Amino acid sequence: MDQTAAMKAGNPCLPEPGLNCVVSARSLVKQYKNSDRPALNDFSLEVQQGEFFGLLGPNGAGKTTAISIFTGLFPADSGSVRIRGLSFQEKEHEIKGILGLVPQDIGLYDTLTARENLNFFGKLCGLSGKKLGERIQQGLEFARLTEHVRHRVATFSTGMKRRLNLAVGLLNEPQLLVLDEPCVGIDAQSRHLIHAQLKELNRQGTTILYTTHYIEEAQELCSRIGIIDNGRLVEQGAPPALLQQSGRGNLEELFLHLTGKELRDT
Amino acid sequence: MLKIFAATAKELLLLRRDRTGLLVLFLMPAILVVLITLVQENVMELTGQKQTKVLFLDLDQGELGRSLQKQLASTTLELVVWDERQKEIADIQAAVTGGGYQVGVVIPRGASARFQKETARLFQQGKEREKPGEMATTSVQLFVDPGIMAGLRSGVIAQLQMALTTIALEAKLAQLGGVLAQTMARVGVEPERSPLAGDKLPAFFRQPLLDLQENQGDPGAIGAAQYKPVQQNVPAWALFGMFFTAIPIAGSILQERNSGIWIRLTALPVSPLVLFTGKAVAYMGVCLCQFLLIALIGAFLFPSLGLPAFTVSMHPGAVLLTVGFSSLAACGYGIFLGLACNSYEQASTLGSTSVVAAAALGGVMVPVYAMPQVMQRLSIISPLNWGLTAFQDLLLRGYSLSAILDDLGRLLLFFVVTALLSWKLAGIRK
Repeated sequence: MDQTAAMKAGNPCLPEPGLNCVVSARSLVKQYKNSDRPALNDFSLEVQQGEFFGLLGPNGAGKTTAISIFTGLFPADSGSVRIRGLSFQEKEHEIKGILGLVPQDIGLYDTLTARENLNFFGKLCGLSGKKLGERIQQGLEFARLTEHVRHRVATFSTGMKRRLNLAVGLLNEPQLLVLDEPCVGIDAQSRHLIHAQLKELNRQGTTILYTTHYIEEAQELCSRIGIIDNGRLVEQGAPPALLQQSGRGNLEELFLHLTGKELRDT
Repeated sequence: MLKIFAATAKELLLLRRDRTGLLVLFLMPAILVVLITLVQENVMELTGQKQTKVLFLDLDQGELGRSLQKQLASTTLELVVWDERQKEIADIQAAVTGGGYQVGVVIPRGASARFQKETARLFQQGKEREKPGEMATTSVQLFVDPGIMAGLRSGVIAQLQMALTTIALEAKLAQLGGVLAQTMARVGVEPERSPLAGDKLPAFFRQPLLDLQENQGDPGAIGAAQYKPVQQNVPAWALFGMFFTAIPIAGSILQERNSGIWIRLTALPVSPLVLFTGKAVAYMGVCLCQFLLIALIGAFLFPSLGLPAFTVSMHPGAVLLTVGFSSLAACGYGIFLGLACNSYEQASTLGSTSVVAAAALGGVMVPVYAMPQVMQRLSIISPLNWGLTAFQDLLLRGYSLSAILDDLGRLLLFFVVTALLSWKLAGIRK
């Protein structure tokens, strides 16, 4: 089903006819078996084509659960998710073909080299031959790892691993790139490079959904942010507009105002 | 199909770089098969299935010692004859109690003369109406290591006793023949016309009128061979190694699950079935290599260690098919372990314990027929028993493919059950 057909079929994410809604989540509820409260509770979100959307929240707020549902890792207990108008129940394979996921934990084989990792994940994305070779080369250049192509990932610094982790997520030239805390534990140089690369990708048209703990990072990168707490989206909008509406001096103040100052030891 | 190839190639690459894993997969079963076969060859010697070496010291150097050596030549006892000019009874005793030999036999000085004298006196006594109980017995000294198994001890003593009984009976019959000849002559019967005269009696005695004929269990089997540790151990320990691949398979899945790889793989447009098929294909190749390595050790290394060579003379195709089905079952179990456990420590502990238990139960370490009745009944639940039974049917009993279809079916069913459970668990692990 193409996007227009999906819209005609009653896609709930239709802010304006003809505009591209990449992620549409409505009333998501998810409760884990070993938890006494839901990880997501009536969570709704829309991300438009070309947006750089930041999802902020304290520990255990439901960020990772939300993006896990958006990327089809597991389903919600109730509610609906559509990616470019398609649902996972009907078109899982197609959706995964246009998605790129950069997980919070490094998703690389330590004993393989950078090229071998890119080669393996590229083939699983359906790439082969010359196209695969080109994408691997672009990935290595993107991650600034062309000099380390034959080195095993186990020998890489955290920053190098994070850059390669990101490059693997871009192999299939995704329309929607989902990043879960991609800059955790890295030095300023690697973080700067990743930020620059992500901005460039977004400028070229890639829609980005980004979760982070770092509020200044979200402020620097994101065209729009959403603040999630206790499984609900408590606020969303462009950072300048949010600050203006709330009368707070900066995003951190707003964040603490909305989520409280209690420690979240989950 | 390209994605399966990619998954298989990646798995082989990971394995090639995991030296510890390779050691576990190839070196461990190779060492075990050599050690266990060497040990079992010795056990067969000790249990009398092969020739048992017996120290023999003839201090007498007379007819009795020569007769005993002659009688024992046709038994499973191999005499190691010591020079009576250099050794004494104490030396034999020391050699046996020291564990160098399990059995020692000594013919004391003067034994032959005493035996002949007493044999002659036997019939003299008869004439004089003396009681036979008053005869003096000539003793052959026997030393047995108290540590040897009861079965071997009984077997050795029975063979020695049989030889001594035969010598005594032949001597008595020869003596009786002489007495009869004299009696016949006294009543006017010519000795050559008497069927009982002279040395004819011992000759009659030696005629075998009864015989024990050993037959194979199934007359339809071809190439059936006697039980040999090599033919049992090579497939048994190859199977053990194959099922041990379950641990690296589980480890590989757990490495993916406990890092971001599992999440990344789940988000890619590829079915878990493709990924697990890739893993299974890679490890089935590993299992085949394991079997070939151990078979080559059996065929070429064993003879240089004094062991018989392993042979796959009949139905090599059926043997390979058994390798294939066994490795399929092992891969299914490995994938199940990788999804059922939460850490490598759990998987390696559960995996190694269960594989060792299944190997013990399945007859890899001790043949099933040697187990207690309850364990024999339980052995049919072990996948290693199914694989081993199939190998034994092919390699020891000489059966063809049709005879092992039930065992192959069980291995396939085991794979299907573990694969379905894994599929269910993969859904839960999402």
